[in-house]
Amino acid sequence: MIQPFGEHALLVELEGPDAARSLAASLERDPVDGVEAAIPGLGSVLVELTPPAGDRAGELGAQLADRVASLTLHEGGGRVRTIPVVYGGAHGPDLDRTAAVLGISADELVARHAATELQVLFCGFAPGFAYLGELPQGLRVPRLDTPRTRTPSGSVAVAGPMSGIYPAELPGGWPVIGRTPLLLFDARRDPPAYLAPGDTVRWEPIDHDGWSDRPRTADDW
Amino acid sequence: MSIEVLDGGALTSVQDPLGRRAWRHLGVPVGGAADPWSARLANRLAGNPDGAALLEMTLTGASLQFQRAATVSLAGGLEATVDGLPFPVESARRIRAGAVIRLTDGPGARGYLAVSGGIDVPTVLGSRSTELRTGFGGHEGRALRRGDRLVVGPAKGPAMRRSDARGTPAGPIRVVPGPGADDRLASIVGRAFTVGASADRVGVRLEDSVGGGGEVDSMGLPLGAVQLPPDGRPIVMLADRPVTGGYRVTAVVIGADIGRVAQLRPGDAVEFASASIGEARTAWRRAEQELAALEPLAEREGDELGWTGSHS
Repeated sequence: MIQPFGEHALLVELEGPDAARSLAASLERDPVDGVEAAIPGLGSVLVELTPPAGDRAGELGAQLADRVASLTLHEGGGRVRTIPVVYGGAHGPDLDRTAAVLGISADELVARHAATELQVLFCGFAPGFAYLGELPQGLRVPRLDTPRTRTPSGSVAVAGPMSGIYPAELPGGWPVIGRTPLLLFDARRDPPAYLAPGDTVRWEPIDHDGWSDRPRTADDW
Repeated sequence: MSIEVLDGGALTSVQDPLGRRAWRHLGVPVGGAADPWSARLANRLAGNPDGAALLEMTLTGASLQFQRAATVSLAGGLEATVDGLPFPVESARRIRAGAVIRLTDGPGARGYLAVSGGIDVPTVLGSRSTELRTGFGGHEGRALRRGDRLVVGPAKGPAMRRSDARGTPAGPIRVVPGPGADDRLASIVGRAFTVGASADRVGVRLEDSVGGGGEVDSMGLPLGAVQLPPDGRPIVMLADRPVTGGYRVTAVVIGADIGRVAQLRPGDAVEFASASIGEARTAWRRAEQELAALEPLAEREGDELGWTGSHS
């Protein structure tokens, strides 16, 4: 379904995140005249039009519908990114609480999370913040009752079906179970984010002593 | 040429009217001037291209000293003085070397001060705007403070003037329905809201609950999206909004009125009115025509250009 989203944008609703990022990628690869940007969400793409093109929204909507109809899903497709994580302790202040909510031990939570390969479904919230999904039922917990005003950069968190990594020190309501030494966003680099929609994320548990030995910047960025 | 910041005011930052548009798929917000139309007006009055960097000031404004003579323009909701004399809003003036320009509170929340040549800061990810939350772009990725020095680029074009005095925009803020929200649009139209204390560059939060809020699958948020979080208090999203959001979007403020939302101050009253997409586009074209109708600040108006604002 394609409908106006303000006078200068269309919202294209799709089956799910694979279709959303595939459409956004397709519009990036093979642009449609009058489309300024395509921003994937969980099950939709916000298609922003250059303002004069708003007058052609109907025609552009038809072009987008054709594009959706002939869309090839890029399942997998992205890069594989391995994220080293120190779980628990000072770096994962909510690990024990989160395990208690799930009714499992902290070790079991670490084992389950570390073994779960996730995909970057879309980005948002903050520069370089990738929504990673989907977590299995056994790892889904609600957000914190009271959000933190400061969550350290690199914090690995979970909420509902998603996991995410804070790319900077930010306020946040997701339970933090670990932390990566890797830098995820650097405005001086091109591209500025280490993770992009479609990438696959694997976790590499490291111990607390390994934190300071790790490079801050991944060598495949 | 440089400008020294004597006082940063409540929140003064380097912004450009267009923002950072190319990296949203990686979570980078658009940013840029919160009232883009006023920022573009300030740039055009100063003879700058639309995308030149300028200063956005909030509520109380800043004080700046100009090392050399410069052509300066002012637009938006704050007022200003040059060496203590009033600086007329929506105009460009030549000010003398050593002059101090001070922005003070006015009818709106944000004032734009442009300098002919633009504020010369590095372009980061396609924009000179400051991303205040994570700290990059603009001047060292942060708000300006006492002692900062800003460099001005070379002037590009002649200063301009408005031939028509702009009437104070009045009446409700116009909205079009959000995706699948026709039933909920009615809940925000035709009633008064009060602007909350936490109105900022991310969004203007309103204090009154209309109910009907909740979470949805995260989606890209256009400028002006009116979100209804679970508490039912509408939030109108502005320049620094996150790229995606997971609350219901009940409406979208039309492009021609988004600057008026950015000018709302905490405690102000605001109302919404329903508009069609066609009306929104017509209003947008009118706003563009107003910007296109500026005239060069001609030689014969030398007294205007030569005005220095110095004490008698």
